[in-house]
Amino acid sequence: MMTMALLVALLAPSAALPTVAHAEPRSVPTGAAAVELVRNFWDLVASQQSDDRQARPRPQAIPAAPEGTPPVDLSDLSRPTEMESKLKTALAPKDGPIRVTVHGGSARLGDFIIGSAESPEGNLLVVQGDADVYGRLLGNLVTVDGDVIVHPGALVSGDILALGGDVRDMGGEIGGEIRALRSTTIFAPATSAVETVQPSGLATVGRRLAGVFGVFLTLAALGFGLVMFGRPNLEVVSDTVSHSFGRAFVTGLLGQILVIPTFGMLIVGLILSVAGILLLPFAVTVYVLLVVVGALGGFLAVAHAMGETYTRRRMAMGVVIGSPNSYRYLVVGLGALATLWLAWSVFGWVPVAGDLIRGAAFLVTWLLATAGFGAALLSRAGIRENFAGRLIPPEALTDEYLWATPQFGVPAARRPGGRTPTRGL
Amino acid sequence: MLRVAIVALALSLGAGSASAQSMRAFTTFRQLHGETRLQADLDYRAGSLRVAPGRATELYRMDASYDEDRYLPTSDFNAARGAVSLGLQPAGEGGLRVVSRRQLRQDANVAFSPAVDLDLDITLGAVDADLELGGLSLSELTVQAGASQAVIRFSQPNRSRCRAAKITAGAAEVTMLGLGNSRCDRIDFEGGMGKVTLDFDGAWTSSSQAAVKMAVGELTLRLPRRVGVRLTLDRFLATFDPAGLVRGGNGFQSPGYDRAERRLDIEVTTAVGGVKIEWVDEK
Repeated sequence: MMTMALLVALLAPSAALPTVAHAEPRSVPTGAAAVELVRNFWDLVASQQSDDRQARPRPQAIPAAPEGTPPVDLSDLSRPTEMESKLKTALAPKDGPIRVTVHGGSARLGDFIIGSAESPEGNLLVVQGDADVYGRLLGNLVTVDGDVIVHPGALVSGDILALGGDVRDMGGEIGGEIRALRSTTIFAPATSAVETVQPSGLATVGRRLAGVFGVFLTLAALGFGLVMFGRPNLEVVSDTVSHSFGRAFVTGLLGQILVIPTFGMLIVGLILSVAGILLLPFAVTVYVLLVVVGALGGFLAVAHAMGETYTRRRMAMGVVIGSPNSYRYLVVGLGALATLWLAWSVFGWVPVAGDLIRGAAFLVTWLLATAGFGAALLSRAGIRENFAGRLIPPEALTDEYLWATPQFGVPAARRPGGRTPTRGL
Repeated sequence: MLRVAIVALALSLGAGSASAQSMRAFTTFRQLHGETRLQADLDYRAGSLRVAPGRATELYRMDASYDEDRYLPTSDFNAARGAVSLGLQPAGEGGLRVVSRRQLRQDANVAFSPAVDLDLDITLGAVDADLELGGLSLSELTVQAGASQAVIRFSQPNRSRCRAAKITAGAAEVTMLGLGNSRCDRIDFEGGMGKVTLDFDGAWTSSSQAAVKMAVGELTLRLPRRVGVRLTLDRFLATFDPAGLVRGGNGFQSPGYDRAERRLDIEVTTAVGGVKIEWVDEK
């Protein structure tokens, strides 16, 4: 049906043009004729669109709201979204038909036409219908779920606001501002409201669990890579956390405080040195990477330390553990760290306890991450063992020890647990 | 198995609620009713923005698509002052919105009547802006660009004489094209950090002055050969290649500066970066 009508619309101009050409053989098509043609075409398209819309209510006046209901004031349309909220409240479905009072004006339901001989005064609200203006409206005009069409010769002295529609200026005069919000939620069906409601408790729990699982799975993957390619360094940082936790935490705290000022000093220093400015992008990238690696590696080292301590304690109690290696330590440690977050995922919806669990999880994670970052700094990313509890204290270096413990040559190299300690401070 | 199914269902429900769109289309315009002047404030905080001359029958027009959860459209005309405020301003929830790039694409097309004297004040946030100001009747221009990428062009001559253009940029990439068409008596540019190109090509009708202050960044000056150019440079750690300018007085000038009918005097102050000169030949 619509295709047919469009076909007719396209054929109609071609049928009309030769007639004009016969009447005035030497005249060229004027601009006015072209405008009229385009107008007719758009009128036809618009009429088809309006047919496609939901069935409009029968045109009628909207009765005044019951006593005590505040009237709607359409005098200020400069805040379209505020006006939309007001109208949403006023037009909210109650028992029975829509009832609204427009302060100093009137309200109509369905399509409304102001005839060319009419000159209504006051603000006009048209709900669920188009407003066709041929005459003179002395006031503001608001449509909800409908277009405003101002025809040639028509006048709207005030502002126009179309909520859920468009304003088509066909050549009339509009004294004020024209505003149009193409969509509106004033009469939105219930299905669209579902999108804005809060997700259900089950969905929230599921999302949080998936989030925690994803984060710790990523950390485990990174940790496995670290064990595979940087195991000695990870072990040194891990031992530093175990043996110098307090010192590592204080260092990590200072590191967090100084990380941004140091970055600023680096930038300024490089800018002030003429050659250094060329290194600026490289230096910024390296610095950021170092901080991230330090924080992440430190956190993984803490997980490693926790897993190692737990596993060794169990072994000391006589439990047989298949493969007590760094991979296992990491998994156990990360599992322990994830426990608090998993608890929050499951019980986070409980009014007070949920916030407490989240706070505790955040605090514990921060404490351990700070200690890990500090350990990474203290051990220079696992290069220095000074705080890892691996250096033999000077008082232990007795003659008996040195005599019994080979220090040089092949026997020393073969000594179990042999490790070359780095220099101290 | 049942547990896995429950979790999968919960995740799918969560994903469904998270993908809701909230972009809205907003249009505003005003017919021209014999106004001769317009003071326009355009405040646009995020998205892409296009400004261009509009229809002679409309004083201004803005067609925007905006994120209703975070922004509100502004359109307020003050008839007594002959002033309009347009744009998108932050509202509702703050912070960053983690969605796809396509969902974030706020955009607006703004047009002003070429028939009125326009005093234009533009404030840009994180914006990709293309401002075509040629063909307007611009009497004064102020642009404040934050972290923006802005192209300000005068493809056609300004229809009226412009008293001044003042552009302030933060960490921005600003390109100004066809400044010779702007017909501005004075152009002030103040930049923090970024890349700036000032193209002074165009139909010069009078002499002009320009002052450029840059903290850190690269400044490119594209100078027309038919205009006499004098450049005064105050730099700290910035490189500069005169590229045909010769020393004269306390700065540099083009060889025919003294005889030139139209002159452009540029004062450049820059701390770190470089000043590059490019010559634009007659078209």
